[in-house]
Amino acid sequence: MWLSILGLILGVSLGLLTDIRIPPEYANYLSIAVLAALDTLFGGIRAHLQQVYDDRVFVSGFFFNILLAAGLAFLGVHLGVDLYLAAIFAFGVRLFQNIAVIRRILLSKWTDKKSIRESV
Amino acid sequence: MKKKVISRFTMILFVIGLMTAIQFNTMNEPDSRDTRDVWEIRQDLSREKQLHSELLSEIGTLDETLSKYEEAANDSPEQVLRETVEELRQEAGLTEISGPGLKVIIEPSQEAIVTGQNIDQISPALLIRLVNEINRFKGIEMSIDGKRIINTTPIRDINGRTTINGKPVGTPPFEIKIVAGTLDNAEKVSNHIKASPILDDFYIDNLSVNATEPQDEITVEGYDGELELEHLEAAEEE
Repeated sequence: MWLSILGLILGVSLGLLTDIRIPPEYANYLSIAVLAALDTLFGGIRAHLQQVYDDRVFVSGFFFNILLAAGLAFLGVHLGVDLYLAAIFAFGVRLFQNIAVIRRILLSKWTDKKSIRESV
Repeated sequence: MKKKVISRFTMILFVIGLMTAIQFNTMNEPDSRDTRDVWEIRQDLSREKQLHSELLSEIGTLDETLSKYEEAANDSPEQVLRETVEELRQEAGLTEISGPGLKVIIEPSQEAIVTGQNIDQISPALLIRLVNEINRFKGIEMSIDGKRIINTTPIRDINGRTTINGKPVGTPPFEIKIVAGTLDNAEKVSNHIKASPILDDFYIDNLSVNATEPQDEITVEGYDGELELEHLEAAEEE
């Protein structure tokens, strides 16, 4: 787990230190991509906690979701319909659901441990 | 198995972190970049230098006043204070002032007279433009139709009439008196008005602007109203 957080810190510091910038026109796409990535990440954590984690689903979902979200936003811009809202809505709702499930699982695990300790 | 999962998460988190950081960088880009070229920077610099020299000369005058105060502290401080008050009143435009200057006469244009068109009052916008045009020169004192222009003078439309200091301006012809400090300066103002594109704006309103040749003695009336200093208060003593 600590290794993963190290990865996050490494990514953030690399991004901040190298001072990479993308043109402001594409900032929308990147923000949606970040949202999609977060959604996949929490989906993966939830799956892992529910013991249904599949490596291939996780990695493919990560890239596919990002591409789909950015593609949808791109299409939306060219069609004049704010399709990126659909992506934001879908990912946003799923993000909250996943986090809620993760919280419940962690809570139940915690109470289980407590009751086991008490019975011992 | 477990190791593989962690390595996957690490990788994904790395990508997420990178994307977030890039997004952060992009959003935090400064709004306005300095796009001035060398020439514009040069101009700005010269403007600042001019300001600097003006401030220096102001400091010089103030220092002079201060030394005068100090000299006269024993003799007659009242006299010096009186002088200062008089100077300040003059600077604020409360006193009559005379000196070399010129007159600018606003009158109906020849064409309008010949074709018998109705001459309306001058519009506030046009008058403001003219005043701004004249104010390009430093050390100018002026009055329009007998109404002294000071720093707080409003030129505006009140009930359909153009007013200065709240008093209506007459229908053209009327004259603008300008005291320019020196004959040289008066000539410059006169030439500037004669060549100014603002004449065209006046012509559209059937008016013509005639600047006279500089004269040795022009008298500009003092401001006759009360100066309202609503937001200006004496600082509390420490």
